[in-house]
Amino acid sequence: MKKLLSILLAVLMVFALVGCSNNNGGGETPAPTDEGGEGSVLNVWTWNTEFWDFLGKYYADEVVDEYTLKKGDVTIKRTTYPSDGGAYQDALDAALLNQANAAADEKVDLFLAEADYIIKYTNSDATMDVKSIGVTDFSNTYKYTVEAASDANGVVKGVSFQCCPAAVIYRRSIAKDVLGTDDPAEVQAAMDSWDKFNDVAAQAKAKGYYMIPTTNATYRIFSNNTTSPWVTADGKLNIDANIEAWMDQSEDYVKNGYTAYTSNIWGDEATSEMFKTGKTMCFFGPAWYFNFSMGNAQDPEKGCPGDWAICQGPQAWFWGGTWMLAATGTDNPTMVADIMNTFINNEEVCSKLVSEDAQFSNNQAVNAKFAADASYGNAFLGDQNDTAVFVELAKNIKFQNVTAYDQLCNEGLQTYFQECLDGNVDRETAIANFKDYIKTTFPSVTVE
Amino acid sequence: MEKKKNIQKKSISYAKWGYIFIAPFFIIYAIFTLYPQLLTVYNSFFEYYRDGLTVIGPRFVGFENYKTLFNLNSAGYVPIFKFLGNTIWLWVIGALPQFVIAMMLALFFTSTRLNIKGQQFFKTVIYMPNLIMASAFSMLFFALFSQVGPINQLLISSGMASQPINFLGMQVTVQSLIGLMNFLMWFGNTTILLMAGIQGIDESLFESARLDGSTSTQVFFNITMPLLMPIFIYVFITSMIGGIQMFDVPQVLTNGYGIPDNTSTTMIMYLNNFLGISKNYGMAGAVSVLLFIITAILSSFVFKSINSNNK
Repeated sequence: MKKLLSILLAVLMVFALVGCSNNNGGGETPAPTDEGGEGSVLNVWTWNTEFWDFLGKYYADEVVDEYTLKKGDVTIKRTTYPSDGGAYQDALDAALLNQANAAADEKVDLFLAEADYIIKYTNSDATMDVKSIGVTDFSNTYKYTVEAASDANGVVKGVSFQCCPAAVIYRRSIAKDVLGTDDPAEVQAAMDSWDKFNDVAAQAKAKGYYMIPTTNATYRIFSNNTTSPWVTADGKLNIDANIEAWMDQSEDYVKNGYTAYTSNIWGDEATSEMFKTGKTMCFFGPAWYFNFSMGNAQDPEKGCPGDWAICQGPQAWFWGGTWMLAATGTDNPTMVADIMNTFINNEEVCSKLVSEDAQFSNNQAVNAKFAADASYGNAFLGDQNDTAVFVELAKNIKFQNVTAYDQLCNEGLQTYFQECLDGNVDRETAIANFKDYIKTTFPSVTVE
Repeated sequence: MEKKKNIQKKSISYAKWGYIFIAPFFIIYAIFTLYPQLLTVYNSFFEYYRDGLTVIGPRFVGFENYKTLFNLNSAGYVPIFKFLGNTIWLWVIGALPQFVIAMMLALFFTSTRLNIKGQQFFKTVIYMPNLIMASAFSMLFFALFSQVGPINQLLISSGMASQPINFLGMQVTVQSLIGLMNFLMWFGNTTILLMAGIQGIDESLFESARLDGSTSTQVFFNITMPLLMPIFIYVFITSMIGGIQMFDVPQVLTNGYGIPDNTSTTMIMYLNNFLGISKNYGMAGAVSVLLFIITAILSSFVFKSINSNNK
């Protein structure tokens, strides 16, 4: 009897081990969803909480906890990976490739993607035509946000809840000290070209200030104005002349002491310059940058909310933006479409995004309303009407020269070039190290 | 009848129970270690990666991946040689002080003449850093030594530096920090292993040596060290294998880039780069196999040389 029992136990153990791999093999096939009965769990993939917070605030009935929302009978769940180093894309890719085998409640339903790599998903079968699930009205959205979410044949695969023209975000008190004025129009006039911007940098230096927090802060302005993509149509790595121009500028700025640091823009060094004690005059970014990523400046004690203002700066550009894409195989198509429609066409929600969250919404009518409203102002920007500025800037946005490889090309170049700026290697070596990194990271890209 | 039954009982083979009891280990080993190892070797002969969401391959390419590993890169060197050199160097600067300090502590703690009080407390304390996850430890150092971190604030406020020092941007400091972290994490572990080894040595040998008037140095080199050799070899080889697989500390401290100028990129970080977004199983497999061969050669070399010296 004992013998039998131990054999049984041993056999069970082996089965338990083998059983592990069997779970997603398909034993429990998901219930078909075409009869109106949709899934009870909506899985949302994100790399931060920006959109998730809006989803909780403006769409869900109940916020259960940090990772769970409720809307009617449906539970909305968040899966988040950090964006840095491609970790988010990495995890998302694995989930999407397993989508067909995943149980209904495990399937990715809605996922977010950034301008840097959205093309990878729109041009694949992992995303689906949102018009087919009921998102059809794009009349109020900005044209580039639709183009960015469309595949090569013009099929729209997702929508953005924001529009991201970017500006120079400057400290009013420092501008007053350096230029004698903090008025956005006058500050803009003083720095409407790179030559003038450099002159202001020299004046700021003379007064003991830095023009920029880190050399990487201006990177996106240059990378957004390139005339050729990172990877050419025949798969070759290509460093655009404008990227070289950024390298030139960065070397000059380090040499002249116009920059506080050379480090990552998200790092403690650069963000410490946002405090009241910071000596940096200009930061760069769209609405999401100053309302979501400038936490140190928003800090009521250590920051200085109200001491900021925005102007276009030397060159027009846009940065990032978060798109919601519908994952193929979702078991909640109706709710996915409903969320998308809410964030682009629900006037009330879009208005609140502007008035309460200082977003620049993806609804032109709503934005125009706020731009024309003399009583509207952003407290963080000293009651400046940021929407009015962005409405003008949004006209310049062109979504071009994008590839699926942009995120790591952008991150990699900045990281490797920092070594040159720090004096560890010469420029040629820094570029060679960057090329080698791309070669290792993307086997399909040819590097010369 | 009674007798026959007895004989039958005696003929029962208990050997199979032995096999059954050790079976779980072999089953788990086969599934979670042996099978993935063989798969790695197999994959190293294939072109097999992802381009976006498209899976390329697997396509048999023979030794092509291995050849690629030895190609010159854009900066004009063979990356794998540089990274192997980095790995060994980073291990050495952490392991050397680790062995010296651990040996000293082990001698102090086991010495009957010193008879240190509160040994349990010290042993716990020196082992403590090993309990922290390496990546968390590394993250802590990353925050401590950043240009706006506490160390720089301390240096500036005490007047020892006029400007923040870019600890995480210079080769000397980055490598030293990695060495320091590995040292801090592992010297406690080594101390305890060496102590166990020293305690296993017959106390009477030490006593008779002392009676014969030998100095502490003589005792150490002629009694302790030779008799400790088997344990020391074990500690040395495990440390070396751990060193060759060094990953989390430099990866987190340098954000995966091995800054500056790839001087802190280790072999496993290089392997990890292949496994990033493109999931290049072919090339990563080739690096793994190469690493396996190097580890095997180094281990047997060390084992043989120390063993033969001993005889």
